Amino acid sequence: MMTPASFISMLALAAGSPPMGPFGMPEQASTIAAEIDFVYQVITWVCIFFFVLIVFLIVVFVIKYSKPPGTKAEGTATHNTPLEVAWTVIPLILVIGIFYVGMKGYINMRNAPLGAYEINVIARQWSWQFNYPNGATISELKVPRGRDIKLIMSSQDVLHSLFIPSFRVKQDVVPGRLVTLWFNATHEGEYDLYCAEYCGQQHSTMLTKVLVLEEDEFARQIEEDRVFMDMLPPDRLYVAGPRLYARCKSCHSLDGSTMTGPTWKGLWEKTVSGETVFTDGTTLKDLIGEGKMFMNPEDYIMQSIANPQQKIVMNFTGAMPTFQGMLSPLEVMALTDFMKNLDKFDEKGVPKDPEDELQRVIDKAKEAEESSN
Amino acid sequence: MSIYGDSTKASSGTNYLTHTRGFLSWALTLDHKRIGVMYLVSVLTAFFFAGMAAMALRLELIAPGEWFLSQDNYNQMFTVHGALMVFLVLIPAVPAAMGNFVLPIMLGAKDVAFPRLNLFSYWLWVTGALFFVLALLTGGLDTGWTFYTPYSIEGDDHMSGAMGGVIPALTGAFVLGFSSIFTGLNFIVTIHRLRPPGMTWFRMPLFLWAIYATAIIQVMATPILGITLALLIVERAFGIGIFNPALGGDPVLYQHFFWFYSHPAVYIMILPGMGIISELISVHSHKHIFGYRFIAFSSVAIAIFGFLVWGHHMFTSGQSPLMNIMFSAITFSVSIPSAIKVFNWLATLYKGSISLNTPMLYALSFLFIFTIGGLTGLHLGTLATDIHLHDTYFVVAHFHYVMMGSAMIAMFGGLHHWWPKITGRMYNETLGRIACGLVFFGFNATFFTQFILGSKGMPRRYADYSAELMGAENFEIFHFWHFWSTIGSFVMALGFFLMLGYLVHSMFKGRQAPDNPWGGGSLEWQCSSPPPHDNFSEPPTVGDCYDYSMLEWDEKIQGYHRREEAATSGE
Ligand code: HEC
Ligand SMILES: [Cu+2]
Ligand SMILES: [Cu+2]
Repeated sequence: MMTPASFISMLALAAGSPPMGPFGMPEQASTIAAEIDFVYQVITWVCIFFFVLIVFLIVVFVIKYSKPPGTKAEGTATHNTPLEVAWTVIPLILVIGIFYVGMKGYINMRNAPLGAYEINVIARQWSWQFNYPNGATISELKVPRGRDIKLIMSSQDVLHSLFIPSFRVKQDVVPGRLVTLWFNATHEGEYDLYCAEYCGQQHSTMLTKVLVLEEDEFARQIEEDRVFMDMLPPDRLYVAGPRLYARCKSCHSLDGSTMTGPTWKGLWEKTVSGETVFTDGTTLKDLIGEGKMFMNPEDYIMQSIANPQQKIVMNFTGAMPTFQGMLSPLEVMALTDFMKNLDKFDEKGVPKDPEDELQRVIDKAKEAEESSN
Repeated sequence: MSIYGDSTKASSGTNYLTHTRGFLSWALTLDHKRIGVMYLVSVLTAFFFAGMAAMALRLELIAPGEWFLSQDNYNQMFTVHGALMVFLVLIPAVPAAMGNFVLPIMLGAKDVAFPRLNLFSYWLWVTGALFFVLALLTGGLDTGWTFYTPYSIEGDDHMSGAMGGVIPALTGAFVLGFSSIFTGLNFIVTIHRLRPPGMTWFRMPLFLWAIYATAIIQVMATPILGITLALLIVERAFGIGIFNPALGGDPVLYQHFFWFYSHPAVYIMILPGMGIISELISVHSHKHIFGYRFIAFSSVAIAIFGFLVWGHHMFTSGQSPLMNIMFSAITFSVSIPSAIKVFNWLATLYKGSISLNTPMLYALSFLFIFTIGGLTGLHLGTLATDIHLHDTYFVVAHFHYVMMGSAMIAMFGGLHHWWPKITGRMYNETLGRIACGLVFFGFNATFFTQFILGSKGMPRRYADYSAELMGAENFEIFHFWHFWSTIGSFVMALGFFLMLGYLVHSMFKGRQAPDNPWGGGSLEWQCSSPPPHDNFSEPPTVGDCYDYSMLEWDEKIQGYHRREEAATSGE
């Protein structure tokens, strides 16, 4: 028999909207969320009970016993041992209970089930990078719905903390250690992922999305994320620019404004003409050429990405982390191509010509491949 | 000459304020009362600057976008706010400022055991404060008051934040640590050696028990902070790997060291506040404190348990699950002594004769706010829920309920309670009540909203929340509650400015204070307001300080006097 309530909850499941948590907790979108919220609810009710009791007594006593100055207090005994023992022991029993449910919930959320799908996470100031078993590297976390996911995390610089409120999980990412975290997402959709541990200037922009996808869709997207670079026509590598730029945008603007790093607007022109000046007083012009530090402008860009500390641009600091080994040579070429073709994009990196949209180019390439088979 | 002058200023003509004159007579004074007053002025000045930093933070967060502060400015501002409030304000506020003034008089003593050390503590405080100023002049810092490694170790060239001020700030905190240790040492010896005949341990006012328990923490925990900060300075200055994983160090070790001090430090801030509340509630209810021994022992219990729970700040740090479980269990043990105190205070109100004077309003505000602050500690001590709430605004709200709403409110309660004794003047009672109301409502509006922000997942130390980066729904919620939190903070600030106004006014125009305006039974109410240079002209009589049966209200002096005095002084 299907009761109306269960029918409604089925509809909700089908529509993919997770239930809201109690007392202002976010939506419950992982398998552990409901259990944690239960503990949260129990504690909150205990709090409300004691709060109301105490405030009620304060108000009653104040109203009842407010007297003009000089009035002697009616008075009571100065102590009452049984009473005082009672209000020692009753809270003690309550907190033992709370500790116990809290501990159980914690143990369940700590121990990752065997056979979980593993994703490597690299945290760095101020972006997240997710590496998949198939070799795909992306900056948003994509996970299949209903599967145990284990994140194996490391930091390249300082402390960070991976926090997904809707899943009720959080784990500090400690440099020099590998830490893990697991969850199982119950509802398709898009959720916020925050950095919760202060990590410097742009801590508050170290956010990304968690995309929970159905298994098939997940497999398709992750495969595409792996091979999309190979599917691009070699003369239009720049279409991958906006996507790769997502990892650089916390420090580099496209609109000419100065952020942590130099803007990319006009960067290519500046590099070709060699007018870039470095903190040590040297000028790029004198460093480019056969047998010099940089072979050509492309080489300069490539080395700037792989080894940013080598030459620091005047008026900036060495804040840029290295991307050595995190971007393939092809991806670096695509980024360079993007810098060369910035006029094809607006100030947010959206292509002006819809034909330049990455998805469209990939779809076309796929079609072509299929028709040739 | 006031009409009350003759009947109240029973002893000699001068008091500690007029005893000697000139700058040096203050700067080099050995009088605990003057040192207390200097601490008070200094601490309140630091409170003003740290509060202004907080207002800047709240203003930035009233709307999304970097409309008022840049990210760098925001990060430096919350570092300044936290470091000043913790090291310059909260830790010395009650013990060093109020304690210095009140403790020896409560003991019927002429001074603390080591007056020179006391003066030295004060000047160490000033030195520490100057180091903080130096930190701001040398480029500032944006590490947060916690100085977490490896962020605090790396140099300017690796981070784009401000780092030049890290070493001066660490040095400042180091020096302030010694100021705190010496104060604690001084009070321990004073309480052991200078109690008057007849005042047994269990006849001491509860404020003294609280100060004693606090002093033990100060002396035992603060050296750990000193060592930790010194290691950090060495690591930063010479690149020796201690906490930096790049040099083979361990950042989690730093967190252990840091919280081994900084958790007990929470009790350095709150325990003396609780001591004040025990006094205020009993005096203004004109009723014997209920359950003296339970309250006294609970202070000691909090001081002891407080040393064993530091790991609850690190549930998500990567420490082992077994450690997490143990720390969670011990953490709950701290809640019991706190609960005992609250129930005993309630029982003291019961059948009392309550006067709703300004100090009492602060005490009642404390009860309300501390109840919320303490109870929400349960959410954070519980492992399953803390994982979600850690490093969110829920934690920010919780510790402001305990630090600002409890420790500072208690301090202001004490200030209003002892103001007549300190200055010899009464402030405007009506304005006092209005200011207390503004602070109370403003405070709750500022910080209760932050519990909701935190439950929803808003991380702390975020310079911005933006519609571009967050889900639309989350953004809306964050924006709404941040807005109201900021409004609340302005109401609270208004209350504090009003307080500043009438307190300053009272110093010049206030009515002469009677010796015992509230009907207190402890010894400080037996000497004149303000007290003479050496406190008591004749040795005070020591009885039960919570026995109010001998105190009679005297309409003429708007204060209380002892019945036996009433017989002799009846002109
Ligand atoms: C944490 C901030 C940050 C991130 C993220 C970042 N950079 Fe940088 N970048 C900088 C800074 C600061 C400089 C200037 C100092 C220098 O020359 O190293 C810079 C300089 C550069 C330069 C040389 C610019 C010039 O004017 O000559 C290039 C090219 C560059 N970055 C590319 C990238 C790419 C590509 C990415 C993303 C894959 C990226 N950066 C990500 C901070 C960053
Ligand atoms: Cu961060
Ligand atoms: Cu703590």
